[in-house]
Amino acid sequence: MAEMTLFRYLHRDTVLHRMDGRLKLGSMLLLSVSASLAGALRHYLVLFCLLCIALRVAKLPWAALLKELKFFALIIWVVLSINATTIPGDPIPNLPLPGVTVQGVITGLRFAGRLINIILICVVTTGTTPLRTLRHVIEWCLRPLPFVPEVRIATMIQLTFALIPVLFIEFAEMSRAQKARCLEVRKNPIKRMYYTVLPFLEQTLHRTDQIVEAMEARGYSEIRTKAAFKSKTSDWLIFTLCLFVFLVIVFTKRG
Amino acid sequence: MSIIETQDLTHIFPDGTVGIEQINLKINAGEFVIIAGANGSGKTVFARHLNGLLTPTKGQVLLDGQPITKNLIEARKKVGLVFQDPDRQFVGQTVAEEVAFGPENLNLPPAQVDSIVKASLALVGLSRFSHQSPRVLSGGLKRKLAIAGVLAMKPQIIILDEPFTGLDYPGVVQILQQILRLHAAGHTILLITHELEKVLAHAGRLVIFYQGRLVADGRPEAVVHGVERYGVRMPLRKGEEVKELSWLK
Ligand SMILES: Nc1ncnc2c1ncn2[C@@H]1O[C@H](COP(=O)(O)OP(=O)(O)OP(=O)(O)O)[C@@H](O)[C@H]1O
Ligand SMILES: [Mg+2]
Repeated sequence: MAEMTLFRYLHRDTVLHRMDGRLKLGSMLLLSVSASLAGALRHYLVLFCLLCIALRVAKLPWAALLKELKFFALIIWVVLSINATTIPGDPIPNLPLPGVTVQGVITGLRFAGRLINIILICVVTTGTTPLRTLRHVIEWCLRPLPFVPEVRIATMIQLTFALIPVLFIEFAEMSRAQKARCLEVRKNPIKRMYYTVLPFLEQTLHRTDQIVEAMEARGYSEIRTKAAFKSKTSDWLIFTLCLFVFLVIVFTKRG
Repeated sequence: MSIIETQDLTHIFPDGTVGIEQINLKINAGEFVIIAGANGSGKTVFARHLNGLLTPTKGQVLLDGQPITKNLIEARKKVGLVFQDPDRQFVGQTVAEEVAFGPENLNLPPAQVDSIVKASLALVGLSRFSHQSPRVLSGGLKRKLAIAGVLAMKPQIIILDEPFTGLDYPGVVQILQQILRLHAAGHTILLITHELEKVLAHAGRLVIFYQGRLVADGRPEAVVHGVERYGVRMPLRKGEEVKELSWLK
């Protein structure tokens, strides 16, 4: 887990990394909505090309990401085959595959297009935005709402995201330690749970306590430095481009 | 007046374990004090009281003559605690974020937070790593980052809980140099360790904990001869003097 690149911040010096967090998240939100609304294949292609360019611009490591995306490729393949064979319709002309229908393939491809684009959006966002910026954007968005403790919510979200990888590493470490002492020999699943799940839960609570303590030791306060956001012309250009794509997809949806 | 003072400080855990008992200690500004003691003698529990992470069962901690409970945030700003296990101290996702955490709590303007982060990282020689994740650093660098995170709050008193654990020879030397630099710059240093042979030459005072109690306190030359009774290895070999006890050559 510690070596994984997918959905992790990777520091580079690029336009996307330096982009104003608010505009970046706004752009990504527009693209996500576009991906869910898109109906025609060309819509998916436009989004896909745009996101590939974004990956390129952000200098994120292609090869490593592709390797880690294997899991999603499997999902796509399964969904595609299920759709292609279960949805009733006309057989594909000149391609005598029994049970496969044109309508089924199209529905499957639509799902695949949506999923691929959403994953890419997540990869680009998390790869170019540190957790702290994400936190600041959440704070900034919630600030105008009355009765919403924006700092507390942002802290909670940040902590959750910070804790997940730590717990993953620890869980892996723990199961290794238990394998080293031959836990597999035990056949009773309840007993095995007792030695894996319970310590893990205990560890999670313990970890949470520790983080709270570490924060307290350095005088955690909800009255804290507010982020300074600065938007540059290039940020607005990127945002406008995403807005444009969004509008085009919305208005050509029926066509 | 002493910068920090404990009066009858006692901590008994809910399960009945006595963490520390009746600790009376006065430390003056600018001192370099070493606290030594066997495992479980209460050193860490004591350190955690000094910046209000634990609340005493009995007694109190005075900071500049004022009980620390009066203003905990102020106490945590003045007394920086470098944890025994640096992994437990990290709250940020990158090295820079980790160091920024303290100054942000003090609600400093963003530009000032940035410059403090840069300065603190430069001080411990970690500037190159500012965008890395703290968890992938080596043991020595982790310890340095933990120190940088505390330095960023500009504390007057710095407590280091077993800062040499798990470090190789160059690692110990670097951390030691760092501590001496901080002391020379006017910080009051409280160093918890049982590896006296590495640092004792530099300290002005040695305090020994044993089973939760403070059992010896004085000039290193005076105290060091009795340490073995309290489960601390006698660092002096035959004919050696306290001023030779340092890993700095
Ligand atoms: N949360 C806790 N609950 C109960 N007992 C505790 C707790 N934390 C510490 N103790 C006990 O308090 C005593 C002092 O522990 P402390 O951690 O201060 O020792 P230490 O001198 O720092 O030891 P080491 O050299 O191993 O770090 C020990 O007996 C320990 O078991
Ligand atoms: Mg300890």
